[in-house]
Amino acid sequence: MLLMAAASEAQLRLDITQGVRDAVPIAIVPFGGQAEGATTEVASVVANDLRISGRFAPLERRDIVAQPTSGAEIRFEDWRLLRADFIVVGRVEPDASGLAVSFELHNVRTGARLLSGRLPTTQGGLRSTSHRVADLVFEKLTGLPGAFSTRIAYVAVDGRPPAQRYRLIVADADGYSPRTVADSTEPLMSPAWSPDGRSLAYVSFEGKASAIYVQRLASGERVRVSARAGINGAPAWSPDGGQLALTLSRDGNLDIYTLDLASQTLTRVTTDDAIDTEAEWARDGASLYFTSDRAGSAQIYRVALDGARRAERVTFTNSYNARPRLSPDGKELAMVTLDRGGYRIAVMELASRNLRVLTTSTQDDSPSFAPNGAMLIYASRERGRGALAAVSADGAFHQRLSSDQGDVRDPAWSPFPPRG
Amino acid sequence: MPGFFKEHLRPLAGSAGLHLALLAILAGAALHWTSSQPPVELAIEGYVVDSAPPDRPATKSQRVEPSPKPQGDSVPPPEPAAEEATQRRAQEAAAAGRAAREQREADQRAERAAAERRRAAEDAEAQRRAEETEARRQAAENDAQRQAAEREAKRKAEAEEVRRKAEAAAEAERDAALQRRLAAEEEAGAAVSAGVMDEYRRMLAQTIERSWIRPLSARAGLQCTLLVTQAPGGTVMDVTLGACNGDAAVRESITNAVYRASPLPAPRDPRAFERRLEIVFKPTE
Repeated sequence: MLLMAAASEAQLRLDITQGVRDAVPIAIVPFGGQAEGATTEVASVVANDLRISGRFAPLERRDIVAQPTSGAEIRFEDWRLLRADFIVVGRVEPDASGLAVSFELHNVRTGARLLSGRLPTTQGGLRSTSHRVADLVFEKLTGLPGAFSTRIAYVAVDGRPPAQRYRLIVADADGYSPRTVADSTEPLMSPAWSPDGRSLAYVSFEGKASAIYVQRLASGERVRVSARAGINGAPAWSPDGGQLALTLSRDGNLDIYTLDLASQTLTRVTTDDAIDTEAEWARDGASLYFTSDRAGSAQIYRVALDGARRAERVTFTNSYNARPRLSPDGKELAMVTLDRGGYRIAVMELASRNLRVLTTSTQDDSPSFAPNGAMLIYASRERGRGALAAVSADGAFHQRLSSDQGDVRDPAWSPFPPRG
Repeated sequence: MPGFFKEHLRPLAGSAGLHLALLAILAGAALHWTSSQPPVELAIEGYVVDSAPPDRPATKSQRVEPSPKPQGDSVPPPEPAAEEATQRRAQEAAAAGRAAREQREADQRAERAAAERRRAAEDAEAQRRAEETEARRQAAENDAQRQAAEREAKRKAEAEEVRRKAEAAAEAERDAALQRRLAAEEEAGAAVSAGVMDEYRRMLAQTIERSWIRPLSARAGLQCTLLVTQAPGGTVMDVTLGACNGDAAVRESITNAVYRASPLPAPRDPRAFERRLEIVFKPTE
């Protein structure tokens, strides 16, 4: 009734059909119960996560004058003057289990509390709990789940030939807490996350010939699943985690195969004389995308896994398109494209075949979507060395992930961690 | 070059050769142990569990070693006459094993040396290419910067010209409008012209669109209505959400868009001012 009355009284009606892609200004106030310079400052981790996403512009620490630690202590007019739209406050307290992180998210303009929570944790778990807080804030303010609690896998190479050292590393999505999960003097490449995020498949040349391993991250237990004559490369997991698509050269040239992990049944998928490689499963598991040079240069094709296995070409825009990777919703395909003389990361909307080139350097490779689809991580070159970079799916925000781990390459973003 | 083909084929071509060499060795050695060992293909196709902890350098024991298998306990004790033959066979086997091992080691040494040479050559080539690419990139960048600077200067000059003309035109338009308004106001009770209303609506919409940071969940098909009350100076007093099919992220973002836009612009004709606004957010894509 009230609404109707107001509506009928309003005399000027406007339509808003567009907005801007600015970063949302947000204040992340240092959490109570933590001394400045604490090993893991919750507010710093949350602010850094939100900044990396490109969607938020956290206020600089020096601009944060008041330090409320609960909603009742916030004087909203102060934060309006600082032009913050939202504010996160909270505190770290002792708890029966060790520690607990309490936090609240408020709209500075309206004063409304949008989110509050209390997460039990420990001193050692404070960083991952901070990522959880960032996830929840991100989801409330963007409508997409945050991916800050996820991880990235990549390969780091140290030294010069012949004394090189290859390490397969798993780190938090923000690059912190790197952990070496495999180490070899021979090349390691193409890490691929299992759909449950608990295992990595990768290629290792540790026996001087390529082989594909599946390694459980928690236990380190490893299984060699393919060491066939010739090339064993480019593993990709089926959506149910039961199969790997592989590139093998056992029958002469490079073709795509599927390997059932339980039964070890190997099935040949492509038979073309050209190079077929870099398989990626469709979300329904019924077809594979892959790279092939059957038309003379690398392009992306799709082949259904039942029936005649006829491959249909998917990309037509540039003369080189390779390394297909699907978005989490399966509607878009990321790839490396040869765009105006440079190898760049692009995303193609499958329905319209509309290609968006996201990056501007010339040697970008290995795109991998974050599990919320908002960003992609990829390999780039910086002063002759491999470096990791990230870009938002709309190409608006670019980030470089700095590394002290030498030459880094082959990044792969993990799925969401299993809950519970 | 980031091409996956190259990346995979380079190490693999080397390893394929190595693999062939290894197969050849194993084929020779197989003369002695094929019966007691599974075929090579089977051995490496199998499920091999490696229990090496991940933080240690991976073991290199994956290669199938053609070590002579000792005679099993289940073999009955040899007859005296047969014993000599057995020993002879054992000696022959040992000698053959030594020869095979030496051959294998020689092959491996040669293979390693070849692999190192290959790798050094590839590395030098890669380095050279990277430097070339970098030099080309640098040159292109310098060129692009210079051109961009020239374009920018030209653009600025043109923009300045356009702005000056537009200002002059606007000035003339304002004068004419004033004349018209004065003439119109002579007629008592004249209504605000439709043109002024349209302009006011457009100014308000543009201001709010510039303030609306669209969240990821704001897609085409979204439609949300806000009822806004403003004070005479344009200060936003109240924002009330009406019908809205968006999520919390959308609702917060559109509410804040209006607050961020405060104070809202004033109409050219004060009589066009409306205290209450109905604002419909419906993005086109």
